[in-house]
Amino acid sequence: MHLGSIADFFGNCPQYIANGLANGCIYILVAMGFNIIFNSTGIINFAQGEFCMFGGLFAFTFAVTLGLPLPLAILLAILATALIGGGMERLLIYPLRHASIITAIIATVGASIFFKALGRLFWPKEAYKVPEFTSGNFTVPGATVSRQFLWVLGLTVISVVLVYLFFNHTRAGKAMRACSVNRQAASLVGINVSRMSLYSFLLAATLGGIAGLINAPYASYGIGLFLGIKGFTAAVVGGLGNTFGAVTGGLVLGLLEELIPGFLTVVLGVSTGYKDAVAAILLVVVLLLRPQGLLGKGVAEKV
Amino acid sequence: MGGNGSEKKVSGWRSPAWWDGRARGSIGIVFFVVFMAVLPLWANYVSKPLGIDLVFVLRLVGVFTIAAVGLNLLLGYAGQVSLGQGAFFAIGAYTSSLLAVKVGFPVWLGIIAAVAIAAVFGLLVAPVLRLKGHYLAMATLGLGIIVFVFLRELTFLTGGNDGVRNIPGLAIPFVEATTKISEYYYVWVIAVIVLLLCGNLVRSRVGRAMQALHQSEVAAEAMGVNVSGQKIRIFVLSAALGGLAGGVYAHLQGYIDPNMFSITLSISLLTMVVVGGMESIWGAVAGAALITFLPKVVEAIPKWVGDAPRWLERYSNYEGIIFGLILMLTMVFMPSGISRGLTDLVRYRRSPFVNPFRKKVVE
Repeated sequence: MHLGSIADFFGNCPQYIANGLANGCIYILVAMGFNIIFNSTGIINFAQGEFCMFGGLFAFTFAVTLGLPLPLAILLAILATALIGGGMERLLIYPLRHASIITAIIATVGASIFFKALGRLFWPKEAYKVPEFTSGNFTVPGATVSRQFLWVLGLTVISVVLVYLFFNHTRAGKAMRACSVNRQAASLVGINVSRMSLYSFLLAATLGGIAGLINAPYASYGIGLFLGIKGFTAAVVGGLGNTFGAVTGGLVLGLLEELIPGFLTVVLGVSTGYKDAVAAILLVVVLLLRPQGLLGKGVAEKV
Repeated sequence: MGGNGSEKKVSGWRSPAWWDGRARGSIGIVFFVVFMAVLPLWANYVSKPLGIDLVFVLRLVGVFTIAAVGLNLLLGYAGQVSLGQGAFFAIGAYTSSLLAVKVGFPVWLGIIAAVAIAAVFGLLVAPVLRLKGHYLAMATLGLGIIVFVFLRELTFLTGGNDGVRNIPGLAIPFVEATTKISEYYYVWVIAVIVLLLCGNLVRSRVGRAMQALHQSEVAAEAMGVNVSGQKIRIFVLSAALGGLAGGVYAHLQGYIDPNMFSITLSISLLTMVVVGGMESIWGAVAGAALITFLPKVVEAIPKWVGDAPRWLERYSNYEGIIFGLILMLTMVFMPSGISRGLTDLVRYRRSPFVNPFRKKVVE
């Protein structure tokens, strides 16, 4: 180990942190999608990452292929993704509302493969560049940050605030929270549980779509699995079902994913390829040691 | 458990008592073994006109049967969802092929080592079994990704993305050439032994304990089943079978690289179990056959039709669509798998389809 390389690592830190925050924002949005569906239906949607894939690919199609103005293209992309989420709920999740957990898991895994294959069918090439909302970079001491990062940050903050307000200050949001506490009781006081399940998929797909289209610069049919597992990791790290847990988890994962491989590469000279395993390792470790997450109080399903 | 309402009086054909006993099982096995033994002799004749190398595919079916039976013990019988069976498959494949290529182990010894290493790895990661349901599924998916990344990055050992080349083929002792047919018998002898052992296992005390903990872990515990011990044993056995399949697979292919063992493999194995039928040993054979043949058939269709439509050319895109649809439709309409649903249809002469849109009175 060389002292010089440790200094290099600290010198790079601002850049790692900037990159980590940018990725963390995307993980936060995916994690919130997992949470919303988990809260209202009790299932983990393995196709959550595919919503991000659709968000990015639709945005590309509307903005570049069809040449629509960017704001309109983004709006349409989010709308189209939300429709896919709603369709999935009506055609797959609603029929399975009485099914066992195994059945629900396998069905959403099936949906995930199906969506991925559709993505590959209609957008066959490897990666598409969704135009940046504002191009160019700016520098802060020690790091170069793209202007797009400000959009990512802003949209994430707005989404988190809106989701928080929705769940705490609107009738529908409160009804969805009631479903998460006890579906039967919620149904007894007149809440339409199945409609809440539909709303949750619409909302989760919307958030996933936003995450996908700000996941600049590239969208491809293959990103779903990776964003899915990272979003789930973020949700679990913070505590599944908890909005602020998703924020914490997303930021922790985003930063660790830059800092750990950065340290290993610069100081120990290890290949950067291990970066792909950071989220999976963090997921397994947190599930084993603290399944209720960093912020969670309740006990997760555990024997 | 053979479908809802099986306690009702069953109408239709009833098999005689002697047929329902051990005899049926034994006769079925004898038929199966004879059929599988004769199959390749016939397969060679139809391979050319079909445009599918039948013996080649049948060998793969044998390999995937072994891994699928292992996963079915865990998923179907014990009720634990694992999306990481591909990881054990990969570990088996790399163990056996690296021992053969770098150390010069004989093939059979390498495969035994593959089983052992996969089992040890299964034991090491067994703590994930403390998790249930979605958490277990995600954790095993995570394990699959970790193994994949390490196979890719530990280049000094695994060759990274270049993979391992020149892996010696399977060969039966006393048979001169390593022909396709001899490899077929090698694979299927192992597969039939595995099927018989697993069939016996699920009918034994252990098997009943497994199914008990699938129904209710609390009730199983109360009946004196050591739930966590039982789960770990099944998990290790399932891992070992995954390793066995992987070891055989590597020698069959002669070449492996990490991309063969991505999440797609775990999901294909899951599809085999689900399609073939959870809680059905023979269902694994059916599932493995269907899921292995499907892409080959789609690939061969252009050759059959001659003037193939353009949309068939990118066949590989359709594989995911077909698998995804199969998983979703099976779960919605026949949650215990196609083979079991059809068996119920034949036995009880009533529709195996669940009507998922029926309103339940009690939520």
